[in-house]
Amino acid sequence: MKSRILALLGGTLLSASAMAGGYQVNLASQRQIGMGHTGTGIQTGTSSIFFNPGAMSYLQENGVTIGASALVSKIAYRALEPGTAEAEVDNPVKTPFQVYAVYGINDKLKAGIGVYTPFGSTVRWGDEWPGRFGLNELSLQAIFVQPTLSYQITDKLGVGAGLVLAFGSVNLQKTLPVQGQNGQEGKIELDGGANTAFGFNAGIFFKPSDKLSLGLNYRSEVKMELENGDVTFSNIPAAASGNFQPGTQFSASLPMPATLSFGVGFTPTERLTLAADISRVSWSAYERLQFDFTKPVAGNTSSVNERNYEDAFIYRIGAEYMVTDALALRGGAYLDKTPVQDGYLTPETPDADSRGLSVGLGYTISDNISLDASFLYINKKERTDLANKSNGIGGTFKSIAYIPGVGLNFSF
Amino acid sequence: MKNFMYKSGMLALFAGVLLTSCDPEIDGTAPSKGDINLEKYVAVGNSLTAGYQDRGLYREAQLNSYPAILAQQFKLVGGGEFTQPLFEESQASGSGYLTFADFINGRPVIKPVPGAAVREGTTLPGGPALTKYTQPVQNLGVPGISVLTSAMKEYGAINPYYERLLEPAEVGTKPYFQEVAESNPTFFTMWLGNNDVLGYATDGGAPASPLSNLTDPAMFGNIYKNMVATLTANDAKGVLITIPNVTAVPFFTTVPYNALALTRQGQADSLNAAYGSGALGITFKVGPNPLVVSDPSVPARVRQIKSTEYVLLTALDSIAARGYGSKKPLPDKFFLDETEVKEIMEHTVAFNDIIRATAKDKGLAMWDANAFFESIKGGFKLDEVTYAPVFVTGNLFSLDGIHPTPRGYAIVANELIKTINSTYKANVPTVDVTQYRAIQFPGK
Repeated sequence: MKSRILALLGGTLLSASAMAGGYQVNLASQRQIGMGHTGTGIQTGTSSIFFNPGAMSYLQENGVTIGASALVSKIAYRALEPGTAEAEVDNPVKTPFQVYAVYGINDKLKAGIGVYTPFGSTVRWGDEWPGRFGLNELSLQAIFVQPTLSYQITDKLGVGAGLVLAFGSVNLQKTLPVQGQNGQEGKIELDGGANTAFGFNAGIFFKPSDKLSLGLNYRSEVKMELENGDVTFSNIPAAASGNFQPGTQFSASLPMPATLSFGVGFTPTERLTLAADISRVSWSAYERLQFDFTKPVAGNTSSVNERNYEDAFIYRIGAEYMVTDALALRGGAYLDKTPVQDGYLTPETPDADSRGLSVGLGYTISDNISLDASFLYINKKERTDLANKSNGIGGTFKSIAYIPGVGLNFSF
Repeated sequence: MKNFMYKSGMLALFAGVLLTSCDPEIDGTAPSKGDINLEKYVAVGNSLTAGYQDRGLYREAQLNSYPAILAQQFKLVGGGEFTQPLFEESQASGSGYLTFADFINGRPVIKPVPGAAVREGTTLPGGPALTKYTQPVQNLGVPGISVLTSAMKEYGAINPYYERLLEPAEVGTKPYFQEVAESNPTFFTMWLGNNDVLGYATDGGAPASPLSNLTDPAMFGNIYKNMVATLTANDAKGVLITIPNVTAVPFFTTVPYNALALTRQGQADSLNAAYGSGALGITFKVGPNPLVVSDPSVPARVRQIKSTEYVLLTALDSIAARGYGSKKPLPDKFFLDETEVKEIMEHTVAFNDIIRATAKDKGLAMWDANAFFESIKGGFKLDEVTYAPVFVTGNLFSLDGIHPTPRGYAIVANELIKTINSTYKANVPTVDVTQYRAIQFPGK
């Protein structure tokens, strides 16, 4: 069932690349991307479903938003000194997307539903680089569906909460250190869909004055569990085939960590909105990556690699300026601290402290149609790691990403 | 709206074109040769230096020798050409070697590939003569040579790998020592001395030839120091390399002392009866049992092997398929007894002391291969590949259990590069070892 839902929602749309800390993908609204992805302490329109369900109750009109980004990510690798081997990922362009719809049941109570992609990772290193025995490619996809209710308790205070239903899948391929006499190296592919997982997203929005607003949001951990995933071996020479048996299945689990955010909004003039957010992502939930196999693979019934992520903070600022009643210009920046400790770097998520710079514009076409466009540039710090604690691939990694996106809003 | 769409579309396109050209780049430290002159690199040594593996010397093995890898990396910092006595492509199998034919009951089936570079009709005491290569070479690796034999002028008439490098008139008249002295390097590596213990060890302490006895350390020191003196006569720099303990390689560690596995009480009973029902001090039980070996020094002339003694890889088939070590005692040449192990260890220590002292004395770099192989006995992980001194599956050692695979040689070359870099303030790049193969398994 879960895989059919994924298929219905359209294969390639689903995934995103790991372009925030770890494998979190913070691309939830085109307007907010333009503002450094702030949004906890301000009204963000329908996307408050994601940023702060407490603010959703303030929406004046019913609305639908659809948007998508084109995520172009590049990662370079260089072997530990004095090695000089280099590699660069050949990542496909990914299209994380978001759909939000909000309906006012009455002045105070609003109902909404959001579909978005807050986690994911796609990296394709290929099968020639020095780290191919660690990873050829990984595609981790997660899609969250979130029905939400929000209630405005007073003019100044709103609360809201949504149930998160999460669907996901993973595909991981790597080269095996077993070679045939034709020179070909063996390969292993793990492929599986996750069981439907649950979580929640709750928020409080407080607007003490016309100029100031505050928000607190908690998105719970969602634990993806995979069972009966398929393990496929290829290019295994006959003499080694006993170690890699057909029909092997795997199970694994991966936490999508909880995120607690606090945000402030300030509107000094009618035309200017300033926002700042701070988030704490509970990455420490990701202790290890473990695959359990139904038949031994190279003599082992499980593969365990320590991850030991640590909780990390994200700091964001953003601004929107209404040049005219129809045209909005936006800008923002953020610093996303890495959850990956020294010694634990991996080629799946060669993570480092990440700097994001964004610009955006909004244009109101008519009373009920408006457009948003955003552009986000992400630059992760160059990081050299021995990867001696994660059993990863030691070396220097450098990641950058260019993420243009567009969104369309209808209100009625 | 159309205008907006057009403009933002163009902007996105422009951004896309602009940005795909901005790839992340990582700058490394600039390569440098430091304090050394790499115009003429010469490699002095034995089979390990020649690239020998799978019990043979063949073209692919030569191309992946550690000196070839070093020379290739030296070129990145201005090093000169490097000539090896390569077998022609038409004679690529060289001396002949072993190939992995099948894997049956957990045991590799290993078959010989005949040598294509064998000179018909000429056989030397050390084996069939090989196609000549008499132009000057810089890889002076001669499989089988020891410090002792490097000083013997007769050696060219004995060892086919040395004979092939010599002009006819030099055969039997020119010692290897002289060949080394004439090489006139600006930089050298010297990994010699392994065969001053290894020949004795691989013959199970029962040397088949007088040349494969344990060399006297005093004589070893004399020849070794003189050879280093000739190499450094023109102020050449270089690396001296110590001798790994024989017990660090799969040839001596693959077959455990208690390799005699009995599954039924009947088997134990029948063996107990065959060996005097305990009267000879030999008893058997269900499970792993020490192998039975012949030992003329004990009254019964047979005994069970001790846990401190080593069974050679060459005994594997005799034990598994021909009943040796149980009903038939394993002959002396298939194992190292305690006394032999002690002698080998003592000689290895003495030789390595000489090598270290010579390096210090001459101000040369020293790679302690003994310490390195000792440190990896339990295996190690590099770029998610496990390496261990384990036969066939350990990725480091070739099918003869003594010599590395191309991957193993690449790892050795990288260790040497690190030693060179740290001693001579150089920054010679290491290689990506995953580009070199390990054991290749048969079957589609």
